[in-house]
Amino acid sequence: MLKITSLEKIYRTEDIETVALNKISVEVKSGEFVAIMGPSGCGKSTLLNIVGLLDDADTGSFKFNNEEVISYNERKRADLRKRNIGFVFQSFNLIDELTVYENVELPLLYLGIDADERKKRVEAVLEKVQIMHRRNHFPQQLSGGQQQRCAVARAVVNNPKLILADEPTGNLDSKNGNEVMELLTDLNSNGTTVVMVTHSEHDARYAHRIIRMLDGQVIMENVLS
Amino acid sequence: MLQNYIKIALRNIFRNKVFSFINIIGLSIGLACCMLIFLFTKDELSFNQFHEKKENIYQLTCKIIEKNGKADNYGIASMIQGPTFKQEIPEIEACVRINQRDYIVKKGNETFYEYASWVDDNFFSVFSFPLIKGNPKTVLKELNSVVITEEIAEKYFGKADPIGKTLELEINDKFEFFVVSGLAKNSPENSSIKFKILLPFKYDEAKNFDDHWLSLTYPTYFVLNPKVNLKSVVAKMAKVYASKAGKEIVEERKHGFDATFIYRIQPFTTMHLNTEIANIEQASNPIYSYILSGIALFILMIACINFINLTVAQSIRRGKEIGIRKVVGGQRGQLIGQFLGESFVVCLIAFSLAILIAELALPFFNEMANKRLEIGYLFDYKLVIGYLILFILTVFAAGFYPALVLSSFDPLKILYNRFRFSGKNYLSKGLVVLQFSLATFMIIITFFIYKQLNFLTHKDLGYNDKNLMVLSVGQNINFKLLEIFEHELSKVPGISHVAPRQNGFWETNAKANGKDISVSFEHIDENYLPTLQIPLVAGRNFSKEFPSDSTNSVLVNEAFVKEAGWKDSGEGKMIDFFNGRDTKLQIVGVVKDYHFGSLREKIGPQIFTSQPDRPYGRFLMRMDTQNKPKTIKAIEKIYQKLSPYRPFKYDFMDDLNQKNYEAEDRWKQIITLGAILTIFISFIGLFGLTMLSIKQRTKEIGVRKVLGASVFQISSLLSKNYVGLVLIAFIFAIPLAWFTTSKWLENFAYRIDISWQIFAFSTVLITVIALLTVSYQSIRAALANPVESLRTE
Repeated sequence: MLKITSLEKIYRTEDIETVALNKISVEVKSGEFVAIMGPSGCGKSTLLNIVGLLDDADTGSFKFNNEEVISYNERKRADLRKRNIGFVFQSFNLIDELTVYENVELPLLYLGIDADERKKRVEAVLEKVQIMHRRNHFPQQLSGGQQQRCAVARAVVNNPKLILADEPTGNLDSKNGNEVMELLTDLNSNGTTVVMVTHSEHDARYAHRIIRMLDGQVIMENVLS
Repeated sequence: MLQNYIKIALRNIFRNKVFSFINIIGLSIGLACCMLIFLFTKDELSFNQFHEKKENIYQLTCKIIEKNGKADNYGIASMIQGPTFKQEIPEIEACVRINQRDYIVKKGNETFYEYASWVDDNFFSVFSFPLIKGNPKTVLKELNSVVITEEIAEKYFGKADPIGKTLELEINDKFEFFVVSGLAKNSPENSSIKFKILLPFKYDEAKNFDDHWLSLTYPTYFVLNPKVNLKSVVAKMAKVYASKAGKEIVEERKHGFDATFIYRIQPFTTMHLNTEIANIEQASNPIYSYILSGIALFILMIACINFINLTVAQSIRRGKEIGIRKVVGGQRGQLIGQFLGESFVVCLIAFSLAILIAELALPFFNEMANKRLEIGYLFDYKLVIGYLILFILTVFAAGFYPALVLSSFDPLKILYNRFRFSGKNYLSKGLVVLQFSLATFMIIITFFIYKQLNFLTHKDLGYNDKNLMVLSVGQNINFKLLEIFEHELSKVPGISHVAPRQNGFWETNAKANGKDISVSFEHIDENYLPTLQIPLVAGRNFSKEFPSDSTNSVLVNEAFVKEAGWKDSGEGKMIDFFNGRDTKLQIVGVVKDYHFGSLREKIGPQIFTSQPDRPYGRFLMRMDTQNKPKTIKAIEKIYQKLSPYRPFKYDFMDDLNQKNYEAEDRWKQIITLGAILTIFISFIGLFGLTMLSIKQRTKEIGVRKVLGASVFQISSLLSKNYVGLVLIAFIFAIPLAWFTTSKWLENFAYRIDISWQIFAFSTVLITVIALLTVSYQSIRAALANPVESLRTE
């Protein structure tokens, strides 16, 4: 599903150049659950953002479903993103002015799905993540775990082929963290590809494969049984 | 999606009440001002547009160029010019003359002054004033017919049908009967010609026929053939004038009156906005529309700047939302649409509020602008289109830049908290500078208007205008009666001096030291100067001891002596005075210059005679300050005894002088209000910006406090940026205000100096308000517990 070859990303400021990704090559197959691990600044989030088409690479190739997307313009990226990718962030990133329901509904609005269908899909996913009863609450009124479940619901409501999760349990206690990981595993078992950046060995064990990074390069891959 | 945008917009409005208040109140005041200006301008442009023949109606005008090159334009003609031009020039299809003045009208035992107009009998065929009763073609055919408006009909005849009833008007000391032949609707507000009572011109013509070409009195209108060449009509008028008035011109030249008369025509539809031509009632200078529009746009612009600055400054808070929208597939165009949509919602609320404000402010605005606009005008379809355009422009002016900025945010930086809305932010700073330049400009202008008006109303006029009553007794009153009047009035306790004078203001020509001099002419007696407390600089006053004064003597003012070019006082010199007689008069006294006119004009040459065969028309009475009401009662008693049919009407000279500056006074009020609104909206904007800036620097404030910064250090750190911008604004505002003020003051012959104190005071005032606005919040933030600030962050 994802094929990254010799990808390079350099951050430049006036004084220094930081190599975030150093000719990295990674492949993720459809239906896989991959965890990316490594110390802070090793380039794992940069890799996730490039995969999510939120950031550009300087050189190299990135194929999404066998299509080269590295040269896509902003419009095409946005289009590919909204149809295929769901994001889950460490800090939830819910819109404070919208209710749980409205936050989850947002990707469907950008897909132009009609109101009845939206209602059906949003309610189904809210049921699935078990926050249907908080549908009319605003994010500030929810616990961290509930907020992240809402974020997961938003990420999956448009049935994406790929879920990118950046330290999804980083701001949660272990109980809520486990619940979120269960959710991601459940989604993966239903066919969704999951790529997750994490610092937690515990969370990484939910994945099929762990990619370990250092200084912008893959240093090791572990396949879990 | 739209629903989602509106939802977010409304929630944002409710969540950020302070900023929403600042935006909505500013925009609604700005929009309401614009609405009122639209109304004003529409009214100005609608003048005389209701006449069916408006495109073919023209007013006869006359440009008089005097020998010294002084030129004036008049919207009046003599009695015979209109009909003669019509007779001689085939392109002129119709001619209407109008002669308007106050007449005394009787109702039972009561009398009233009414504004009556003598008009040619084709008045209703040329102009489209609707008649409720009567045939437009014949209604003024009869010599004793009269057409009255609904207002006059109700006043004199109540609810009864006025047709066939009689109205009594005092003409030449006698009440004459006129039979009501027509009932007209009250003349519209947006009409240059206003009337209440219309009488047949031929009646006036028969009694006071005047075939002079050079004495102009009557507004005259033509209906021209639609295919006419205007230049050829003007050329033909010049030819007719030269052939018909030739003899009179030669004769007048002999008497020293040697001016060139050029006849022209101006379209009826444009006459309201032409102030270059004298004698047009209610003519309005379009500059007023421009100034009002300028003020309204200033206010709206400042409100839009608030919206832009506050929206952009709030972008960090909105950043997360923008990032998420982009992550889930929102494109930049959609985000621009969303933010424009939010601007639309805010503007829509402001617009609705603006309609309410405009409605509530209309009576006040009418008073200030001297108009009678009605709120119903707001819903005129052309104005509604105008408002919609204004609304859309405001939505874009306020929303477009923030939409561009906000939609350009990089979602990665926002969502990973790497985003700081920093940079030099020149646009936002520039807009704050613009706002405060306008506010400072307005306040400086306001102070200068106040100072000039104060100067005009308190300047020593060269005579004492306090407690000086002016009582008009009519120009044609008989001389015996006038003597009795003067005698009786001088006996009233509380009156120290009584002086007769002619009615109205006359201008004529004199010749002195070989020069032709245009003069103001006063017909007075020996009591005039003592009553007004005007001193003489040379010679003596008129005196009963010198019987020849009435025929051989003249007083002049200092300006006359100066104009004549005499090096000495001028006393004893002879002058030619042409006011109807070819007499030489000797100057027996020189009067110290006094302001007999408005302070807009320089004191011109003035001549005083005391010829006994000229009628007086008014009395000037110096009254004691005590028991004024009792004195007035006593005067009224005498007046009613001697002039029983005349309504008792008087004025005080200081009030009349004050009226000279009514326009300036109204402008003072308008500019003051404009300045207050500009400053208010600018400062609430500054308040909002400071609030946001402090919110965004909460962590910094906390850290600085922990590290030992004092309250003063922190509050000055937070205040200095914005106060600095206000100071920069002065660099732009001061020269602009100086230029505008000096241009405006050029309208006055007597004016204040442009003093630096006003600039200094205005800038200090603005700085103090800015400091108060900014430092209130800065000090509050500096006083806050740093632990709280750090925890918040």
